[in-house]
Amino acid sequence: MIVVDEYLAVRVLSGDWPGELPDDDVVLPTSRHWRLLQRVHNPSGGQLSQLLANLPGDDLGVVRWPHPEVLSVLDPRPLLDEAAAIAARFGGTGWLIAETLAAGVAHGHRLWFGTPDNVGRVLERAASELGIAVHVVTG
Amino acid sequence: MRQTGDVSIGEELLEERRRRRRAGDPRLSEAGKELFRRMTTGDLAGEFQAALDAVSDADPLLGGSDDD
Repeated sequence: MIVVDEYLAVRVLSGDWPGELPDDDVVLPTSRHWRLLQRVHNPSGGQLSQLLANLPGDDLGVVRWPHPEVLSVLDPRPLLDEAAAIAARFGGTGWLIAETLAAGVAHGHRLWFGTPDNVGRVLERAASELGIAVHVVTG
Repeated sequence: MRQTGDVSIGEELLEERRRRRRAGDPRLSEAGKELFRRMTTGDLAGEFQAALDAVSDADPLLGGSDDD
């Protein structure tokens, strides 16, 4: 099982499978799905929001309810205890980082991101101390 | 022989599952695919990142104090 960020989730949903990504089931932490859903339901304005609003048919349904054969959203309940321990250990993580790290611990000690801009210093430092490999897809 | 057949069927099912996973969501239109490509690897990637960061920044419980 591969834990990915929002970039790779969107790429996988659209059939743009990065060559560097292992061939395995792809999962997205709940907090990262939440960030995508916030942009769907609460547009921030700007060009991207306009383009998303003008998509045909039920294209946004692909993000709201990902096809289970393509992308799964992780159940956060089994991750809660580990996430709380991580938040207490590192401080300042917030649910997004704590859940992502807990998911990495639970699923092979590796995380996959679509851009370095989406990693962040706190996650990078905590992942190193937790023995989680952070992979950033470049192509 | 039976074992060989079972393995073959299993491999076929795995390959079909792999093919569907890599093909993406069949409900997505071509316009949607193009917009998603621009958001993740194209000219809208910066705006996409800013939109995600704004959600975290607006909610300390979600985003914590990672100010990257």
